[in-house]
Amino acid sequence: MSHTWMIAGGWLAAGLTIFIFSFLYKDNPFFKIAEHLYLGAGMGWWFQVYLYSIWIPKVADPLRAHQWAVLVPAVLGVSLVTQFFPKISWVSRYGFTFLMGYGAGLAIPTMLSTNFMSQIYGCIQPFTDVSHMTRLGMLNSLIVAVGTIAVLFYFFFSVENKGAVKKISNIGIYFLMAYFGTTFGNTVMARFSLLYGRFDELYSYSGANYFYATQVLLAGMVAYFLVHGLLAKKKPEGGAAN
Amino acid sequence: MKNNRIVCGLFTLFLAAAPVLAAKPAGHAKPVSRPAAKASPAPRTVGLVAEDMPYDVGGALLLRWPVNPADDSGTSYRVYISSQEKGGWLQGTEFPASANKGTDIDLPFWAWDGSASEHALRLDLNGLFGDASPGTVYRVKVSVLQNGAEVAESEVKTARAYGNWFRLDRLNNLVMLIIIVIVFFLAVSHAKRKGLFIRRIAGLDAIDEAIGRATEMGKPIYYVPGIGDMTLVSTIASTFILGEVSKKVAQYDSFIKVPHYDPIVMTVCKEVVKQSYLEAGRPDSYREDINQFISQDQFSYAASIDGMITREKPAACFFMGYFMAESLLLSEVGAASGAIQIAGTDIEYQLPFFFTSCDYTLIGEELYAAGAYLSKEPMLLSALKVQDFGKLVVMLGVSIGLVLVLLGQWQHWHSLVNFVTDIFKAN
Repeated sequence: MSHTWMIAGGWLAAGLTIFIFSFLYKDNPFFKIAEHLYLGAGMGWWFQVYLYSIWIPKVADPLRAHQWAVLVPAVLGVSLVTQFFPKISWVSRYGFTFLMGYGAGLAIPTMLSTNFMSQIYGCIQPFTDVSHMTRLGMLNSLIVAVGTIAVLFYFFFSVENKGAVKKISNIGIYFLMAYFGTTFGNTVMARFSLLYGRFDELYSYSGANYFYATQVLLAGMVAYFLVHGLLAKKKPEGGAAN
Repeated sequence: MKNNRIVCGLFTLFLAAAPVLAAKPAGHAKPVSRPAAKASPAPRTVGLVAEDMPYDVGGALLLRWPVNPADDSGTSYRVYISSQEKGGWLQGTEFPASANKGTDIDLPFWAWDGSASEHALRLDLNGLFGDASPGTVYRVKVSVLQNGAEVAESEVKTARAYGNWFRLDRLNNLVMLIIIVIVFFLAVSHAKRKGLFIRRIAGLDAIDEAIGRATEMGKPIYYVPGIGDMTLVSTIASTFILGEVSKKVAQYDSFIKVPHYDPIVMTVCKEVVKQSYLEAGRPDSYREDINQFISQDQFSYAASIDGMITREKPAACFFMGYFMAESLLLSEVGAASGAIQIAGTDIEYQLPFFFTSCDYTLIGEELYAAGAYLSKEPMLLSALKVQDFGKLVVMLGVSIGLVLVLLGQWQHWHSLVNFVTDIFKAN
């Protein structure tokens, strides 16, 4: 029984992978099936995650233990649902106000500390021990400091980008482009490793133990596109005539 | 008289030498084997003080005791801690006598007055006891080791760790925040009286072009606010831009679709779009299905929007907000469908994907500036000016800080170096 389920699972995984990849050619019913299945499965998955990781342990269980304080955040959370009922939708504003205030209160000190003070400290800190710095290390730290200032010039909106400001902000653009280039390469490599993973699975499902699931599904897809293409050619174009 | 002095001198010398002579093994007597501890002439009392570590959330204790002048390179200290009333001692840490001085505590000068004449040790309770509950009474003691053997032990002290309401070590952050708030109010006042200048941002000038194109073609506009929640600055900035975009859409009588990942962001965006249609004088054109919830699963959200873009072939796509791996999945499909695309995010490692597939891309700060740039509202313009003020402070801080630190290093003014680094330390 378990072996049958393994084979069925293999066919399902290979099929859904090929259906999603078929979008690279064009939109088609197989992609639509995979898309809607993915959407529904995603919603179902998150529903159970919220139910078992938030509602039960953080609301239901404390209430059973008579910890009534959890009612305050629970009611604030439920108030958001009143958006669906126009007559009492004003109640949701309490929840939203709390969320916005909480978000701002949490973000301001963190942003100030990490995006502001840390930038300055990070630039000057390496120079606090010059005697132990190598020449390359010093050059590196200087490039970081100059790059920080030049990039900030690019994002300075209060002055027109011309003259000396333009020259400095152009240096900032070079720093940004160098950074974006390296990030692009790095991320593409990570994405390729994901692609290899998918191909590896498709290869696994192409064996005799899975009854050649990958080949059969791929051949079926190609046959569909061929037939569909031929039928579409035979149909008369009606747009202009109408 | 002279003889008396000689006798007294000899007697004194004898008295002084007596303990030394007595200590030596006598003649053929068998030497008594004693541990080094017993032979140590100076018993070391540690003088331990245990207290809550100041300016933290209650996960550490601070131990202090004076430096013993008799300590040498073979001396080390071993700290024990217990959360039980009797026994249960855990070894906290062990370090040589030359380490963990009062000056080594990583707190700025206004919050900590450490001295090299005392040992000061921050004992991390979470590391020792897992999740240490605040308020638990801990017992601590310190052993002195000489060449690895214990020679003395402090008396047992008790202390509790608790969270501190005010973090004095972050006073620099508070001062900076107050300055920023003052600058903000000054900027608001100036913006209301005289207006404020913002330089041209090309990506935002293209918004009119994109909406105009959609109107001419009679095709919808897609505005994707990303997968961030309302606590993210990029999402908040995105809602500001959505307000301006939807106002123009209402004016041109075009059609916009806003697919959502987060239900709370969707609710905020609904209000924003509704308000924009109202301000544009077209409340009748507003439809409830402009904002639609898709999924809270990242890739099913991306797959669904890809499908919608492919089928409806919008004239313009806006990707503004917080994006992760779905950035290229969305923008590449938009580019393939022939839409004019404008993107903006502050996630720097997703920006290259937008560069490659979109017509215009707003980089980080430009996204934050967009709301102010488009609306020209004094409040938003002031916020933008405050951001510029912050950048100016960073530029000046780096430049001046660098000069002062290098000067301090060159002239060996270590207090100046410490002062500068403490001022800018994020803690």
